[in-house]
Amino acid sequence: MHPIFRLVNRNLTISLNMGFVIWQVIFPVIYIFVAGFAYTALIHNVPFGSKNLDYPAFIASGMIGFNIMNSTLISGIIIWNDRRHGMFEQILVGPFTRAQYILSNVYTIGIIGLFSAGLITAIGYPLFFKSVAFNVFTVPLVVFASITGAILFGSIASIISTRLKSSEGFNVIINTVFLFFAFVSTAFYPAQGAPPILATAFYLNPLTYLVDVVRAGIFGNFTDTVGYEMAALVAAAVVLFSIATKLLSRLEI
Amino acid sequence: MLCIEARSLSKSYGNVAAVDSIDLSVESGKIFGFLGPNGAGKTTTIKLLTTLIPSSGGTVNILGIDASKDPLAARKRIGVVLQQPSYEPTLTVEKSLEKYGMMWDVDSGTRRRRVEELLSAFDLQDIRKKKNDDISIGQRRRVQVAREFMHDMDLLFLDEPTVGLDPSARRGLLDYIRGKVRDGLTIFFTTHILEEAEYLCDEIAIINRGKIIAVDSPDELKNKFGREKTIKIRVGSVQNISDMLQGVGSYKISHDEGTVIVIHSADSEQVLVKILQVLNSNNIAVEDLSVVPTSLEEIFLTVVKNSDTGISGEP
Repeated sequence: MHPIFRLVNRNLTISLNMGFVIWQVIFPVIYIFVAGFAYTALIHNVPFGSKNLDYPAFIASGMIGFNIMNSTLISGIIIWNDRRHGMFEQILVGPFTRAQYILSNVYTIGIIGLFSAGLITAIGYPLFFKSVAFNVFTVPLVVFASITGAILFGSIASIISTRLKSSEGFNVIINTVFLFFAFVSTAFYPAQGAPPILATAFYLNPLTYLVDVVRAGIFGNFTDTVGYEMAALVAAAVVLFSIATKLLSRLEI
Repeated sequence: MLCIEARSLSKSYGNVAAVDSIDLSVESGKIFGFLGPNGAGKTTTIKLLTTLIPSSGGTVNILGIDASKDPLAARKRIGVVLQQPSYEPTLTVEKSLEKYGMMWDVDSGTRRRRVEELLSAFDLQDIRKKKNDDISIGQRRRVQVAREFMHDMDLLFLDEPTVGLDPSARRGLLDYIRGKVRDGLTIFFTTHILEEAEYLCDEIAIINRGKIIAVDSPDELKNKFGREKTIKIRVGSVQNISDMLQGVGSYKISHDEGTVIVIHSADSEQVLVKILQVLNSNNIAVEDLSVVPTSLEEIFLTVVKNSDTGISGEP
């Protein structure tokens, strides 16, 4: 087996424990089925392109992007855990190059991102199936968004993992990043109608672009704006991935 | 055949030379001990030899491979147990071994067989289903060392492998290592427990302040640096023995369990002859006479002290 796949195998084994999977399911299920229905009293419909989505369908589709971010931030901290538990050095004195180690993490993050997207799509499907427009053009859009988003957020976690040394600092930063990305985005509520400053802040957040592209894929609403959002997502992912790779390549032992 | 050949190997951090132009030659099938005080450069040397960090100068050949040109080829043939703990907290002990074998591309049948062998050899059977996070530091260290034997290798670096192990586990590990060397493995071994080095090593190098200050077999090191032998003579209870022995040389007298004369000097044998003559002429019977062998620890302390005070390493 190729060294990268051996490392991916190992990464998946240490990441996909029962706690992680339960967290991956329980967390969005609460948002989809509790918050989704509870907020229906306040938000009846959300206009989305030519469609009018009910709130549970809106939040269920938003949870796909949210879960990609959530899972890849967690899997992105494999590097942090490897450094903390001495496995980073141990792997690098083994039959692997640093580039193979970095690529294995990218693949792991991509796989976990797709896994998360698939999981939430399956869970949320009963809520948004009425408006779904899956076809040969929209499904690749969801897959594209899942992989790009996974690399983007995985890179952010990797950058944080390489820069910080204390567990306390790491936890504070990762939780702050998580809160900003999760709630200053269109994952939970539409930008239309929000105060202008907040709506602008939504579009400084890559999760907004990820969620918008995923929704465009699910509900078949591909517009010019979605095209720009895809470009922005790719650009941000490339820049962040390059920074993460550079930092990992230079990480001192 | 040389397994490790380092020439003028150096590593500097700013103006500080952690490893200062050292030469090392390690023969295949031997256990090479690498000793030194804390911060002497042992771990940095291991990191250089295992290609974990780049050198500032010099060359390293590992198993005939130029490690600076093809580090991956060198690493594929070595095993390394680093000084720092390394483990995957979420995996069980047996899963750790199995996954580590997988990472080294060991086939699944061999992995299963080796997991069972190593669980047994390292006394890990009782904790095989426990997660690494839930076992003691000593048990984790045993797993870390055992794990390295999941894959085939020609050379194994062990950086203080017995830290945190109880005496029985330590002896078990040392005997396991000896067995592996009989099968052809070469070991590069660091430790602060000098009895371990004496028990295990065919050759020993002592490093201090980044420089190698002595290299030889344990016996030869003792011959070179262990000139101050300790001889103990027990003579029962004798009064005024100090007066009798005046002027015969350097010695000490203690009165535990009778009178004991302790000679500790470079010319112990000559002093012994003089003391025996005095005792004989005074009709004092010698109840016991013993020569205390010079320990590697004493040699180590002597060599490092000489190095620190600028006295030439070899006598």
